[in-house]
Amino acid sequence: MERTVTKMSGSRTGIRIDMASKRTASRAKGKISGKVKPWLFLLPTIVIIVFWMIKPLIQTLMYTLYDWNMLPGTVPEFVGLSNFKELFNAPEFGSAIVNTFYYILMMLPFSVILPMIIAALIQNVNPKMQRIYRALIFIPMIMPPVATATVFQWLLHQTNGLINHVLISVGLIDNGINFFMTEGLARLMIALITGWKMIGFATLMFSASIGNISPEYYEAAKMDGSRGIRRFIDITVPMLSPTMMLMIMMSILFASQWTFAYIDVMTQGGPYGTTTNIYYLIYKYAFGNSNVGVSAAASLVFLVVFGIIALLLQKLSSRLAFYDN
Amino acid sequence: MKLKKILSAGLGIATIAGVMAGCQTVSADGSAGQNGSADSGQQAASENMTEAGSVVWEENLLDPENPVTVKFYSYSFSSPMFGTGFQTMMDNFNNGIGKEKGVILEFVADDIGTKAETDVKVGQQVDIVQASFQSIDGDRDTLGISAFEDVFPKEELDAHFEGIPENCLNLGKIDDKMYALAFTFSTPILYVNGDLLEQAGLDPTRAPKDWDEMYDWCVQIKEKTGKYGLALSPTNSTGWVTDSILYSNGATVLNSDRTAVEFASDEGVKAFESWKRFYMDDVAVGGTDTEAMQAFAAGEAAMHIQSTSVYTSFVSASESAGWTLYGYPMPGFDGQPSIPTNSGSAIVVRPDSEQKAQAIWEVIKYVTGDEGYTIITSEIGYLPLRPYLADDPDYLKDFVDANPIIRVNIDRLEDIQPASIWPGDHAAELLTLYNDMSVKALTTDADVAQTMQEYQDQMNQYIQQ
Repeated sequence: MERTVTKMSGSRTGIRIDMASKRTASRAKGKISGKVKPWLFLLPTIVIIVFWMIKPLIQTLMYTLYDWNMLPGTVPEFVGLSNFKELFNAPEFGSAIVNTFYYILMMLPFSVILPMIIAALIQNVNPKMQRIYRALIFIPMIMPPVATATVFQWLLHQTNGLINHVLISVGLIDNGINFFMTEGLARLMIALITGWKMIGFATLMFSASIGNISPEYYEAAKMDGSRGIRRFIDITVPMLSPTMMLMIMMSILFASQWTFAYIDVMTQGGPYGTTTNIYYLIYKYAFGNSNVGVSAAASLVFLVVFGIIALLLQKLSSRLAFYDN
Repeated sequence: MKLKKILSAGLGIATIAGVMAGCQTVSADGSAGQNGSADSGQQAASENMTEAGSVVWEENLLDPENPVTVKFYSYSFSSPMFGTGFQTMMDNFNNGIGKEKGVILEFVADDIGTKAETDVKVGQQVDIVQASFQSIDGDRDTLGISAFEDVFPKEELDAHFEGIPENCLNLGKIDDKMYALAFTFSTPILYVNGDLLEQAGLDPTRAPKDWDEMYDWCVQIKEKTGKYGLALSPTNSTGWVTDSILYSNGATVLNSDRTAVEFASDEGVKAFESWKRFYMDDVAVGGTDTEAMQAFAAGEAAMHIQSTSVYTSFVSASESAGWTLYGYPMPGFDGQPSIPTNSGSAIVVRPDSEQKAQAIWEVIKYVTGDEGYTIITSEIGYLPLRPYLADDPDYLKDFVDANPIIRVNIDRLEDIQPASIWPGDHAAELLTLYNDMSVKALTTDADVAQTMQEYQDQMNQYIQQ
């Protein structure tokens, strides 16, 4: 009996040992494939990021130290930090920086304040009309920027434009205004047109967020006798804070990009450099002046400044945004 | 952990490989041959040709059985107004002399050199470019163009240039070498809407004798018709009219060796003050060149200074709106005739072999020859570089007789002075500053003399860098 037990237990033990070693081997295999698999999935993305982002980024860093016009067959000349000196001494650099922040500030009402109000107002109409309003407000977003710029050029033409005709016919002005060659006005027009173009996207974002707010909050507030505006301020605005932060971050980081097409088509940075921004300056140095070094230096300044801003915003976002769980 | 290390190492190697690839581009000296035909102009000049003026073609390298394609980047070809004329030239060349010699002409739609520049940089074949005069010096660096004397034999050049006024041949010269051959160009023409002048009680069959009289006319037109007297962009695209206005009052823009700008002279300031009155008193419409053209074509301005390239579109506008179009030379100052400059474009070349140079030369001979200029003038309105064509019944005589405004332009060829060719290293920046100076000095309350001086100093700093 004892032998048998021993035998049995021995055999059991033996079997157990075999199974365990098999399990350990397969676990090890599974562990390896489990570790490799995610990397395999990530590999195409990593290759693309390295080739299209990291490599150009490092190349750009290197170009900041060279004078080169990109002509094949020519050798870039090492010039140290003189590209930065040329950039900071360029007459349009100061106004490009000021305008970059001007466009950011001007974008905020169009990407946060107005869309939030419009989205809240649309929310109160019947669902059919909601869809129509949203579609109407989204139309500017899908219009090609160059076509938009051309249409506004016609509308705002000094002698042939509809806006000037209306202003003259109602007696507000005697002579047509040259919107794109008047300092201050040209910059304002670019900001307004860009804002008009972006308002649809922001409104859709806020509409989607408002749709996700639990109606129970509003019902409870109503029962407590809270009025519409109070409910908007105390419930809607805090609940929309994550979207607000997202839109603020997008406005700050992309305002230069959004205004680029309108600057290029309507003013080319003029009159006398008063509408240019850092993004347009980078483009002009690279493709207008064929000065890769200064263009790379401007890009680096842009990257560093906006990288810091993005980090600060992320920190701010986690503090200020309120998430309803 | 090991796997992590391997993957990290792999990622690191990939990054370094990418960076190395990037470094390769930075340090490329063209010897790798990756850029193919892009290693053109400057290299070709040194490889195939010896010293300037001593180029010899010992044999004809063109073969009709194996034709060579010449890529001609042209902004006119992309324009709806000019494109058909260029298409006609391309078809006629390819079905005629091109087929006979073994050359295929291919126009590539460009945007004033932008596409050409980009294509050169990515190594595409770019043989001829229709370039702006103002940027020719910069094109030596950015496009790698060659001087004509360095790539074409002297006897070929001399034979082809016969019949072209010396002044016109000088328009594209830098340091005594021809880097560009005038192609489609015009002198400043004062277009007049005859009906608006008549409504204002003025005689449209004569031009104002100088800028003072033109100002008086503009005031009268505004008072009597409510329309603007003059449409003229302060930047006029490349500043070529600005040059002409400054020259006409005795000012210069660049010194003779192009090492300094000097427009802020007393003569320059006086010319700008005369011009500024038009905008300050609201009797002229400014804006961009296109906006000024649109204002005149729409009958919102009675006079307009522009090149003859838009002549055919003004003829259509006047016919459809029922007003009469007149054209005169741009007025000068104090009763003196103006000094005309050149608008428009020039041909620059970048052959990469002797065979390509021969093919390019066949194209240039055609497009700037008798047939080419007949098409350019009659279908677009630009000046014929060969004035004798205007009297030849086989070419332009009938057209010029029917369109006397072209004769006005041709008559000015003898007096033409080159518009500013900005020094190469900072050509684009200098042109921008020149135009900025015009806008600020002419259309704002800024003091003219002070503004011109400030911009002159800035531009000279760039030149001296």
